[in-house]
Amino acid sequence: MRTSRWLMLLAALIAVAAAAVVFGTIHLGLLASWRGLLGQGDATAVFVVRELRLPRIVLAALLGAGLGISGAALQGVLRNPLAEPYLLGVSGGAAVGAVLAVSVGLAIALVPLAAFAGAIAAVLIALFVAHATRSRGDPRVLVMAGVVVGAFANAAIMVLMANSDASTVRNAVWWMMGSAANATWSQVAWLALYVLAGGALLVAMARTVDALALGEDSAAGLGVDVERASRRVYLTASLVAAATVAAAGLVGFVGLVVPHIARRIGARGHRVLLLASALVGAVLVIAADLVARVALPPAELPLGAVTAVIGVPFFLVTLRRML
Amino acid sequence: MLSQTGSLSARALGGALLLAVAWSCDPAPRTPHAVPWGLDDFGDTIWPPAHATRIVSLNPTTTEILFALGAGARLVGRTEYDNWPDSARFVKNLGPGIRPNVEAVLSEKPDLVLLYGSGDNRSAARRFRQAGIVTVAFKVDRIEQFDRVTRLLGRIIGDSARGAFVADTVRRTLDSARALTRGLPRPTVVMPAWDSPLLVIGGGSFLNQLVEIAGGRNVYDSTSAPSPAVAFEDIVRRDPDFILTSPESAQRLKQRARWRALRAMRSGAILLIDTNVVVRPAVRLGEGAMSLVRLLHPEVKR
Amino acid sequence: MIAFDNVRVMYPRQSRAALDGVSLAVPRGSVTAVVGPNGSGKSTLVRALLGRVTPTEGSITIEGVDVRTLARVAVARRIAVVTQREEPAFPITVREYVALGRLPNRGAWGRDTQADRAAVHEALRQAEVDDYADRTVDALSGGEWQRARFARALAQGGEAFVADEPTTFLDVAHAMAVFELLGRVAQEGRAVLLVSHDLNLVARFADHMTLLHEGRVAASGTVADVMRADVLERVYEWPLVVTRDPAVGSPALVPLRGARGAP
Repeated sequence: MRTSRWLMLLAALIAVAAAAVVFGTIHLGLLASWRGLLGQGDATAVFVVRELRLPRIVLAALLGAGLGISGAALQGVLRNPLAEPYLLGVSGGAAVGAVLAVSVGLAIALVPLAAFAGAIAAVLIALFVAHATRSRGDPRVLVMAGVVVGAFANAAIMVLMANSDASTVRNAVWWMMGSAANATWSQVAWLALYVLAGGALLVAMARTVDALALGEDSAAGLGVDVERASRRVYLTASLVAAATVAAAGLVGFVGLVVPHIARRIGARGHRVLLLASALVGAVLVIAADLVARVALPPAELPLGAVTAVIGVPFFLVTLRRML
Repeated sequence: MLSQTGSLSARALGGALLLAVAWSCDPAPRTPHAVPWGLDDFGDTIWPPAHATRIVSLNPTTTEILFALGAGARLVGRTEYDNWPDSARFVKNLGPGIRPNVEAVLSEKPDLVLLYGSGDNRSAARRFRQAGIVTVAFKVDRIEQFDRVTRLLGRIIGDSARGAFVADTVRRTLDSARALTRGLPRPTVVMPAWDSPLLVIGGGSFLNQLVEIAGGRNVYDSTSAPSPAVAFEDIVRRDPDFILTSPESAQRLKQRARWRALRAMRSGAILLIDTNVVVRPAVRLGEGAMSLVRLLHPEVKR
Repeated sequence: MIAFDNVRVMYPRQSRAALDGVSLAVPRGSVTAVVGPNGSGKSTLVRALLGRVTPTEGSITIEGVDVRTLARVAVARRIAVVTQREEPAFPITVREYVALGRLPNRGAWGRDTQADRAAVHEALRQAEVDDYADRTVDALSGGEWQRARFARALAQGGEAFVADEPTTFLDVAHAMAVFELLGRVAQEGRAVLLVSHDLNLVARFADHMTLLHEGRVAASGTVADVMRADVLERVYEWPLVVTRDPAVGSPALVPLRGARGAP
């Protein structure tokens, strides 16, 4: 990808992050925001900038980067332009974990942990189901296994919600709509660990993904251990996705749309594509979080809704150019 | 496959556990040498505020109580649902009471924030505390909770006497309602709250308590939830004497054919609650009890 | 260099073995062709070499070493394969595609070396795709795409070159170009294994031929040994004659008008 495009992306990232610091329910001008960042001036402004907005921005960036990389990697290894990070049961499993935790009255701090555990469990079940069919890593079988696990998870959620009281249901539904609102610095640190480690692993495997994207036989001909390598990519990508879900609930569309946008601006070859997807994803989610905060004051829109609303037109434009 | 997934899972689990620990830390502001006033409904310590002159009340019940305590002028923020008394309208609407907009609240620079004690407000509570504001979360579903909260709020605003006065007045009215209906036969009622899913008022709600005080009996008083979902046939089986509900709800019920399976519906035994009075367990509890006495025992002279 | 020794492959839930006791040698410096009707097991042979199916009996060896004991990467360094079908899911340029052929030599983490770039350049030239090296693969015609695939396999290097049905979808000019390229690759000293259904072209270019029928070897040896009317008629179950093509001197199969073959 041309250097000018990289610079453009970086500029977009800085611009949208700056906007997210300046704009919000409380109106802070550029100067006040800058001083707030440095810890000077009005105490409320400092708190708002440093403890409310800044961690949200970093969290949103990590969310976008994680979902972007995960989506790009899965699309490559599954050879499917419609693959996305939640494909292997991550969203269904996480939702079951969260709803279960909320309905048995688990402490709110443990709900993300339950969501994470649910997501991982669902992915492992999907992998196991695909493995048991002896299809030797056929991606279509894996996608079907993921769909089946997801469908089962949805049924489980419906049963759980039917038997719960109103506030549990509301809590669960809100969680599933995705939000960066509760971002704290400790949360950001843990998400950073998962996204950076998982992302680095995926970037290191980028050439293997390039080979896998040609097809299993072709990849085998190039010396790739198709089953092991694919499984590594599935697990790493799903782990990153599960971490994002634990941090912020279900934020849809990002993992699906971002790799296509990255391709549109010229990223080819998975090493470049993964990194570009991370950047595009970060820009997209920071922007979506900003919109979620300022679109309908004083209420806040769920992040997942905004990413879908922004993502759909992007996707349609990309689709048109593709065909 | 197992060793590969094993090492990934171990890493995932370890990280997640540390996540949970990190998230449960709770910073608390405190005035020097202050003595805490017990725990709020989130289990967090209530630290007395240095002063409570800019109060944000994100809960219609506490808004009502504060006005009754004469502290309405100190309110700088409320939720969109706080509609009583009338003068509450002049307090700034800060949006939802569930998952409140933290920035909007902070922009009013409050020294006390009152939250509704539902689980989804925990992170907002943590935020306000982090910003150094005294934050208290209350869940007021029952009469004794109202009593406690009123007295506590009186203490917080520095007027314990007024708090006790309001709580005692309500208690006295409730006691007289009880006295008026003592020994009278108790008609049974069902209180449908919502149609789909079918929710009724259960034993966990203050309405249940009011009905009991007013000399009636809720057929669902044995349940513990405030508004459980029930099967329609179960209501038919319990065969209540009366249907007690709001006028709008009564209209909807009359349009649904299945309600005619109830003896109470066929005989027109529908009692209409004045929802302006009996809407939450707050200062008008006494009035609410009395209005129910009039409905359930019209024969009683006051 | 590559040897199949009594290889037996069973696909699950099939009554007959896809390959049953197939032995075949692929020596260096010559073109070895495997022919046969549809379903005779030709592609299974290639898949077994790639490790995509596992033989239940017999062995496949590279210079005497069983492939099952070798890492896939080690096999890929020595054998380059052009599979029957390949459709990249996402567009990349021809140059990037050919560069992927260097993967087994460079490794997933390695950087591009001068040797890698030289190999790619040479492969593009040999396969005659350097004119459109910067076009994306979804903008190529069938013939151009096939040549690009050859370029990738050439860039991979190694001592053996395997092509599975390389002339499907190719017109006569492109098919000839492919066979001539395979001939040149063999002349450079590599072992060439060619799976094809185009008997006449195979007869002109192959040094050794093996005819498969229902998973077994029906005939094997020189072109003259296999291109015999009685053998071919039995295997293909269609009336035919084998003539000697006057222009190029190699045997040519001419199918006759179809009556139903012998039961």
